[in-house]
Amino acid sequence: MTKLDQFESTFRAAAKETYTRTPLKIDRVLVATDLEPVDAARLTEAARRFLVAIDRPETVWEPLAGSAFDSVQALLEQVEAHKPDLIVTYRHLHSNAWHWPYSLGEHLDVLTQATATPILVLPHPDAGRGLPHSVQDTNVVMAITDHLVGDARLVDAALGFTAAGGTCWLSHVERAADFERYIDVISKIPMIDTETAAETINAQLLKEPHDYIRSCRAAIEAAGLNVSIEEIVVMGRRIEEYTRLIEAHEVDLLVMHAKDEDQLAMHGLAYPLAVELRQIPLLML
Amino acid sequence: MHHVPTHVTAIFTVMLVAMILCLALEEKIHAKKSVIVGVFAVVALFLAAFFALVHPETVAILGHPVRLPVYIPGVDWEVIAIILGSSIFVDVTSKSGLFTWMAIKLTKLSGGDPLRLLIFYGVMTVVFSAVLNNVTAMIIVGTLSGVSLGKLGRMDKLLGFLLIEGLLTNVGGLLTLISSVPNIIVGNAAGISFVTFFITASPYVVVATAATIGLGVRLFDIRPLADDAARVEARGLVAGLDENDGIESRGFFWFGTAMTGFFIAAMASASVMPYIKELGLGYVALAFAAIMLTRYKSTADRFYQAIDWDLLAFFGGLFIVINMMEHALVLELIGDLLKPILALGEVTGPAALMVASAVASSVTDNIPLAAMLAKILGGMNLPPDSPFWWAVIFGANLGGNITPIGSASTLVAVTIIHKYKLSLSFADFVKAAIPFALIQLVLAALYVLFLL
Repeated sequence: MTKLDQFESTFRAAAKETYTRTPLKIDRVLVATDLEPVDAARLTEAARRFLVAIDRPETVWEPLAGSAFDSVQALLEQVEAHKPDLIVTYRHLHSNAWHWPYSLGEHLDVLTQATATPILVLPHPDAGRGLPHSVQDTNVVMAITDHLVGDARLVDAALGFTAAGGTCWLSHVERAADFERYIDVISKIPMIDTETAAETINAQLLKEPHDYIRSCRAAIEAAGLNVSIEEIVVMGRRIEEYTRLIEAHEVDLLVMHAKDEDQLAMHGLAYPLAVELRQIPLLML
Repeated sequence: MHHVPTHVTAIFTVMLVAMILCLALEEKIHAKKSVIVGVFAVVALFLAAFFALVHPETVAILGHPVRLPVYIPGVDWEVIAIILGSSIFVDVTSKSGLFTWMAIKLTKLSGGDPLRLLIFYGVMTVVFSAVLNNVTAMIIVGTLSGVSLGKLGRMDKLLGFLLIEGLLTNVGGLLTLISSVPNIIVGNAAGISFVTFFITASPYVVVATAATIGLGVRLFDIRPLADDAARVEARGLVAGLDENDGIESRGFFWFGTAMTGFFIAAMASASVMPYIKELGLGYVALAFAAIMLTRYKSTADRFYQAIDWDLLAFFGGLFIVINMMEHALVLELIGDLLKPILALGEVTGPAALMVASAVASSVTDNIPLAAMLAKILGGMNLPPDSPFWWAVIFGANLGGNITPIGSASTLVAVTIIHKYKLSLSFADFVKAAIPFALIQLVLAALYVLFLL
């Protein structure tokens, strides 16, 4: 390693991403259902009680009954017409496929990619899969990602949805399989010391999100928010890890990205999580 | 004075010219300095033995007769010890995070304002060049410039920053006796103490630094931030730099800080300290290196691997070649050629010698030049305060600013420039650097002639 590279690495490591908070502002919420108008209104009220953290006197809550749309195109037109800041819905609108936990349903599939609006996905009202603490409050919110550093939007959303006095978990699960693959390749290159590479790369991968979370804490403290920040920065198998964490910490709301700039399909991590984690509400950005 | 046939002196003169040419074309012939000089040293020794110019010496060491090979007495071991000790000391101390801490702290203090950043980085380059060495200073400040200007979205100013910093390394290299190799060689030969060197050189360094930064601000159009909004944004961006990130241990950080202070103090007072003055600056440098290595006692070999063996072997070979040139009366011949310059008097003579040294240093390594001139001037029994010594010191250091190959630190600056995919040819460098080099040399000439 040359001295030039050594100092450049030191300075690059010292140049950290820091979190700058932009308060979340939600003026209009559209609750899209496949229910009768009365049930849609009831679900809207339940959602409002659940999302007390974002509810202000001027927030407009608009229920959308199942009769208001009969196709994906019609739902998108409704969204376009209402221009909400948040859509609340659930999987398998106008479908019985909720019996089989293998997909999200065509409406939600398209909605997550075709609109820029964040979507809050509730457990299906008929499925009864929710955990005992689900859809009660947002005292425990968890932001999940495999790249937390610099993701202020994700942190802003997680913080915005956390009830006063609640806990916001910022989690970063690094893909163990990818890491092992690279270390396996490194182990076949004679000029790189495998043990040192594994130790230092692992440490640096986990240090960066840890440092970012520290800057989040500082910003939240400076803003005087009544929310405590907890961190989870680990190397692991992501679906298993998140399932374990959700159960261990009794998470009320999971916040994650659904869009990927490089593809039309849903973000790689988001789709399997959205399909499998049906017990608790998810906020998909 | 022994007699040497003219044709032998001519052969050795041709060898010296060939070696200097090879060093100047180092990049073209893809050979390390140590190999180039090593080959010439081997041939020079053989020819010296063949022409019976040298004979093994038997010297008494602590009362015991020791037969020394001819290539041992020719090497200036004090210089080798200073360079070896200082480089290990700096290398280990840099692991404490002290230098990166200082560099990042200054960046944050600038608030991300380009003009303040240039002034801070310029002064830091000079100080680091003086305390560490030119190359390490350029590496630290140059890499930080790339990272911080990238963070500030000011990459358009990087070329100017790196050029100014590169040119300032050679100004900072004039500040102390141990700041650059020509200083060590010439200062040692002249018998200039560390404190005298600092007191004599520092006023010039202050003025030349201010002039270089001032000219750089004008030529590269470095302006302060226009309004409060820009200042707030820039401050926020540099706030993300964490000066503590490179510090592995707080204890070692403070130890490194204290030892750096003691190191400078010991170097400054070595010539008057009892016992130490007998042992010399090389001992001080090696002693501090040994103390710092105790922090990494189980992995000290890592630092031995990091030593610039090419540079040390280069010195070893160079001293042998110069020694053989002395035996072959080549230095006497060059001294005769320099006599008209020296005869110009106390005013024009040093000025002419400085210009000649600067021009020679700009196209080839300034170390052989310094070693050769130190030997020649040393043979003339000049007093330590003679302006001729200072003419060589200023000329050899500042000459490195005329071309990118004139000094190792400007070469590092160009390497960083190319690393960032910025276009700068040899001619572009000369064109950009000439105004700076001229101002620095004119200031140096005025200083040496009228103020020393």
